[in-house]
Amino acid sequence: MRPGRIVAKAVLAFAGFIAVFPLVWTALNSLKNSVDIITRVPRVMFTPTLANISYILGRDSVITGLYNSVIACGTAVLIGVVLGLPAAYAVARYPNRWAGDIQFFVLSLRFLPPVAVAIPLMVIWLQLGLYDTLPALIVTYSLLTISVIMWLAIPAFQGVPKEIEEAAFVDGYGAYAVFWKIALPVAARSLIGAVAFSFVLVWNEFLIALMLSSSNAKTLPIVASELSQQGMNVPWGILNASVVLLSLPPLLFLGVLSGFLNSVFRQKKN
Amino acid sequence: MPRRSSLPVAFVAPTLVILLILSMVPTLYAIVIALQNRELSSTAYSWVWFSNFVDLFSDRRFVNAVWVSVKWEVVTVVATMVVAIGLGVLMFEVAAPRLRNLYCLLFIVPVLLPRVSAAFVWKFAYHPLYGIATYPYRLLTGGLIFDPLSKPSTALFAVASVDVWQWGLFFAVIVLKLLETLPPQPIEAALLDHAKRWQIHAYVTLPMLKAPLISLMFVKMIESLRSFDLIYVMTRGGPGVATETLDMYAFSQGFIESGKVSYASAMAVLMMIATVITFTMLWKRVQA
Repeated sequence: MRPGRIVAKAVLAFAGFIAVFPLVWTALNSLKNSVDIITRVPRVMFTPTLANISYILGRDSVITGLYNSVIACGTAVLIGVVLGLPAAYAVARYPNRWAGDIQFFVLSLRFLPPVAVAIPLMVIWLQLGLYDTLPALIVTYSLLTISVIMWLAIPAFQGVPKEIEEAAFVDGYGAYAVFWKIALPVAARSLIGAVAFSFVLVWNEFLIALMLSSSNAKTLPIVASELSQQGMNVPWGILNASVVLLSLPPLLFLGVLSGFLNSVFRQKKN
Repeated sequence: MPRRSSLPVAFVAPTLVILLILSMVPTLYAIVIALQNRELSSTAYSWVWFSNFVDLFSDRRFVNAVWVSVKWEVVTVVATMVVAIGLGVLMFEVAAPRLRNLYCLLFIVPVLLPRVSAAFVWKFAYHPLYGIATYPYRLLTGGLIFDPLSKPSTALFAVASVDVWQWGLFFAVIVLKLLETLPPQPIEAALLDHAKRWQIHAYVTLPMLKAPLISLMFVKMIESLRSFDLIYVMTRGGPGVATETLDMYAFSQGFIESGKVSYASAMAVLMMIATVITFTMLWKRVQA
């Protein structure tokens, strides 16, 4: 083997190590007592403890944050599916002269700086008496989920072979039946990827949740960030445990999302 | 496709109306607020028109924030693309299919993490005394202190490294998939001409991927605007104002330091105008 290839393999292996090691280390720290974390020389051998995790899961603020995150993100994704998928299908299959503009409009929503949306929304929700409530958060997140799901679902529907749908029309299916019974099931794999992506996006969202909640509607990222603001008084093990709890749901979608990537590029190749 | 169906209208119209309302109401309202003098502490306000904007241009912290934002944008976009293309090409060259799949999975992990989690993971790792990332430095120098997050000269790069950790590795996977979609013939032709492997990529494959790579860079430019979470958790804009980007400054003006909501909104409006114009122009050029 040439030396160049060995170096290249070493660089790759190092990058793979960097990709996951910090997270693994955080997970390890969440199982440690403080004495094993606050050490000048990192400790690999230690007596594991579940105290941090049980402390985190026993705190009301964390449980409320978890509940808020699940409800707000789940509902917003559901709204995104109900409104985004049909619209994406119509844009993909019934192109008219506005199709390009619609696509650009949906994308351009992503150009808006989150602060620019969050400040006026905060004032609006305050005036409506909905500030710091889940409905306000859900409506705001729906803007995100609808546009992202639509943006990703348009190519997914375009990837469904037209012949299948045309055959269904010949068999006497109506336009809506073709959408329900043909396009949705055939494109399902890519669509699930798009929906999972939108969930990860709102689950990870921070700035809008920070500005639209003060106590009742705090989502998990906000609760986690607050734990750290008490400085070093909070044992690191507990902080690490909260980071692990926050990171687990998006990581559950790792398989789905990497499958989604593969199917997108396989489609490109053919 | 049937010509006459109610489906396109029935499917698109409600969604578009809702998207328009959800996006236009806050956008227009942001402009309205920016022309007033609202504060968090009271509900009274009056119209001050453009005085917030005039004040901004003589506000040295605002000018600093613009500069930090531009620096953040350039550093993260360039570094992400360099890492992505570098690792993507390396995977394409030396990793067997099975290993490629493993690397792809590993490289997607960081981008899935909430920014808040990523920020915490690295804030711990960069801790000068107990951090895992500063440990090699302590080991090699016999216990010297290196505190990247509290030195003005390194803080921005330390935070940017987390952003590149998330996006650069993820984009490396996409670059690899793009390389895999290329037809093999041009590469074989170049090999027959005794081209070196790096020459093949520099002169054949990467130029063939110019369009998707530019799109990728465009996506990263948009995502780099969302730096707030990382900076908020890792440095709060500090030390001093070394990492205070526009959204961080707008947030602290509006909510932490003085509660000047209108002043913050004026900043947000300027930011919005700048990004919408820039990205619309870029997008039209990418599409052309």
